Amino acid sequence: MHLSSIDPSSTTPSATAHVPASSLTRDWTCPFCPLLCDDLVVESHDDATLAVPDTECPRLAQALACYGSADAQCRNSVDGHDADLDTALAGAARILSSARRPLFGALTTDVAGARALYTLAAGCGAILDHWHGEAMSAATLALQDRGSFFTTLSEVRSRADLLVFFNCQPSQRYPRFFTRALAGTEQQRELVFVGCSPDPAAAGMANTRVEAILPDTDPFDTLALWSALCEGREASALHDNGTGTAAALARLQARIAAAHYTVLVYEPAALPGPHAALLIEALNRIIKATNRTVRAGCLALGGDDGALTVNQTVAWLSGLPLRTRVSTPSRTAGEQPLDYDPYRYRTDRLLADGEIDALLWVASFAPPVWPQALDQAVPVIVLGHPALAEAAKARGAATVFIPVATPGIDSAGHLFRVDGPVVMPLASARGVGLPSVATIAARLAAQLGGEPAAQVQP
Amino acid sequence: MSLVRLKGGRIFDPANGVDGERRDLAIRDGRIVDVPATTPADHEYDATGMIVMAGGIDMHSHIGGGKTNLARLLLPEDHRDNPVREPAYEAVQDANGRYLRLPSCGVCTPGTLATGYRYAEMGYTAAFEPAMMPSNARHTHLEMGDTPIIDHGAYVMLGNDELFLQMLAARDDFERLRDYIGWTIHASKALGVKVVNPGGISAFKFNQRSLNVDEPHVHYGITPREVLHTLSRALTELRVPHPLHVHASNLGVPGNIDSTIATMDAADGLPIHLTHIQFHSYGTEGPQKFSSGARQIADAVNARPNVSIDVGQIIFGQTVTASGDTMMQFRNTPLGRPHKWVVGDIECDAGCGVVPFRYREQSYVNALQWIIGLEIFLLVDDPWRVAMTTDHPNGGPFTSYPHLIRLLMDKSFRDEQLAKLNADAQVASALAQLKREFSLYEIAIITRAGPARLLGLRDRGHLAAGAAADIAVYRDDPDRERMFTSPAYVFKDGELVARDGTLVATPTGGIHFVSPEFDRGIEKTLRAYSGANLASNFAHAAISDDEVCSCCRGGRLLPVECLANG
Repeated sequence: MHLSSIDPSSTTPSATAHVPASSLTRDWTCPFCPLLCDDLVVESHDDATLAVPDTECPRLAQALACYGSADAQCRNSVDGHDADLDTALAGAARILSSARRPLFGALTTDVAGARALYTLAAGCGAILDHWHGEAMSAATLALQDRGSFFTTLSEVRSRADLLVFFNCQPSQRYPRFFTRALAGTEQQRELVFVGCSPDPAAAGMANTRVEAILPDTDPFDTLALWSALCEGREASALHDNGTGTAAALARLQARIAAAHYTVLVYEPAALPGPHAALLIEALNRIIKATNRTVRAGCLALGGDDGALTVNQTVAWLSGLPLRTRVSTPSRTAGEQPLDYDPYRYRTDRLLADGEIDALLWVASFAPPVWPQALDQAVPVIVLGHPALAEAAKARGAATVFIPVATPGIDSAGHLFRVDGPVVMPLASARGVGLPSVATIAARLAAQLGGEPAAQVQP
Repeated sequence: MSLVRLKGGRIFDPANGVDGERRDLAIRDGRIVDVPATTPADHEYDATGMIVMAGGIDMHSHIGGGKTNLARLLLPEDHRDNPVREPAYEAVQDANGRYLRLPSCGVCTPGTLATGYRYAEMGYTAAFEPAMMPSNARHTHLEMGDTPIIDHGAYVMLGNDELFLQMLAARDDFERLRDYIGWTIHASKALGVKVVNPGGISAFKFNQRSLNVDEPHVHYGITPREVLHTLSRALTELRVPHPLHVHASNLGVPGNIDSTIATMDAADGLPIHLTHIQFHSYGTEGPQKFSSGARQIADAVNARPNVSIDVGQIIFGQTVTASGDTMMQFRNTPLGRPHKWVVGDIECDAGCGVVPFRYREQSYVNALQWIIGLEIFLLVDDPWRVAMTTDHPNGGPFTSYPHLIRLLMDKSFRDEQLAKLNADAQVASALAQLKREFSLYEIAIITRAGPARLLGLRDRGHLAAGAAADIAVYRDDPDRERMFTSPAYVFKDGELVARDGTLVATPTGGIHFVSPEFDRGIEKTLRAYSGANLASNFAHAAISDDEVCSCCRGGRLLPVECLANG
């Protein structure tokens, strides 16, 4: 997944623990997972390291370990050699203006970055996909086919008395999920894990009973039976090969019918592919049917590393979600200016099949990501975390690297929280003088625009 | 700065009583100025024989925020169906060689970029998002900021948030509720307050499936009437210019005229605006138990000078309904086409429901909805209290406005359209007997002067010296639909932005908002409530001036004055 050379397990975050804080940011919002915990106090030290001492979160610790004194000195590079920003921008603009089919990949950035990248994409005819495009796409396809019935974290915290977790243990990806969504209220709750064992992080919470059912059943079979029960079929009339699955699900559905407010939690990325969209569709269909008589909602956990943010932003600007190609006006007559195709415009496929002739790789969060397979012949521009500088240099020819700020670390910004409606403002915790993705993308767009214009309106 | 003169046009400026008078307009520094005719102009535009109005103002259009974007995500087919334009349409470049117009598509919920372009091309220079949830305010401002050219603003949703209902149920001091409302307007950078199905969105969270004006909320025991009364009184005391913006109870329910009139009366004579009233004007007469209540509603509006409305006209074809009214949207989901929909409960604030609809001419109900909307336009006497809307996209996309204007101005065209509809609906209608045809002066009232007045925008919606130079100049064409589709010139703050329906500049629009005075002491209550119930930190609840400016791409802040005391 992540670039091995910057695997934070090889660094020692505890080494910074005794460095006195040079500045404190209270009510800091963590940008490294879509829960966007906004109750943190972050210390920025004189040696440019960061720490959040009073918060237990392995994902945050792993991300913070990617920041240090070298970041401020990180240089741009062109073809393996250090370069100043203007040279790097000129090299990047050359790559984009000569590309006929560029891909903007990874796209781990914030709203401002997505806005500026959209303008840039329109200036060079780029395809847009995200690092988490596969999981995002499953969720989008399910939405497009049938819609959804959703709820949000504050609804969960304030009123949910029954939570059903389908095939997921949220704390694995989102360590503070239970703290954020459930802790600190008087609400009595029951947590039922379906298709997996209970999340250890849920154990020992006040007023909360935890259990697991059907730990080893096939998720497709489970949802098929559950759907039938929701539509009024009797468990005894359903075929489950004598496993008792139908009866167990009927008991679960009866508990849902008796609850005040049920929340069904799932993670698109934790569902088995390649047909996760069918599972997401079934989960929402079950909750829609349930709402005919009682109240319930789905909570999907995903959209990490700006995936939800960039998808939302591109959708409002263009009208279409990610995995869209934005054409320039030089397209052939009759061709759509926007082509949304979740199957053709997958990063993995485009790279593997050699369908693109330039890659703009945007990786501003931590740990930063690197393309999984990349033909050396494809010119690459990396707008990335400083930790990617070495990998970019090592690639040598046809590679431009420009270090950028992480929103929430070295710049302000906005990100969408996991549940959808809430956008959180990010404050800069450190402020090493790196440019934002938005700044670089806007400068690149200006340079592309500066090319001799083919059709200037008189 | 340079002086621009628009020469020889016929001015329709109802705010200043100008009805078709032929005279020049002078523009300097983005404002209309009063200069002698002898002062030389740096640039002149020939408007001889053309119709000159202030830029159009859409006071109720779902242009941005969570549910609008969900509608886009739900309906990629709507976006693919967008007619392909010539590449030259996007090839226009500015002086720096950058494309003026970026790709953006969609018919009933276009992308924000297309939304701004199309409004401006039609001569509209402002649009207002009517349903901004406090928890979704940043998102809403981000989308509005990405809607180019036009100015924008939003009404914040209250009256279904758990805190308001808790305070009301606890018989908390009115002053504290008022301060909370003032704080929410301030924190979300809103221009007004909207209530959607008062108390009903919350009641649905407690599994209540309907809620009439005097019926108690199943959990809090309060009634919609109390919610309406408290909100309208608070806005009056906070001196917010726009009256409480009300999406009444029982949307779409046959027989809802009674609750709609009860809603008007819940304001106790204080100003109140009933939005998309067409959806709330249904009787139960006739064999289908569905009839026009337009006459009763229009009579009620005519008799109550404190009431203003916008219509929410439906337009035949595919659209999508996006509303905070989860209670009624969920109920309507079986009627949705295509059969897919989104409903959500949101942040103890409210909720949203997105249900695609296809309004059909041969459907008795849809035909009657169309008839009812037009009847209301034609039966309400005072055009200053009626704003033209389709409740975009709920009744149809805003791009239908030129068609709707023709329906109002041209009785024979209206009759032709009526004749195409479901025969039973025609019989059940009084529309054919309504001879009224709107004049250009009246159109200027319902599309710009009236909305500006209802929103408290003193320097918009009119053409007197000192007003912002937001101007639309139309070629006088007996086909009013064609005329209002592609104005000859559109100016935004004095800058020419469109010419014959083609954009020539895409400036960033400004943000209208209001800053009422309130006691900051209320924050203690809000902080405690947030800590105990919500998943977010109260420290981030409010949006500062700087932040809203960055959300809106550096658009100008356009603070709207509160009403003067006394």
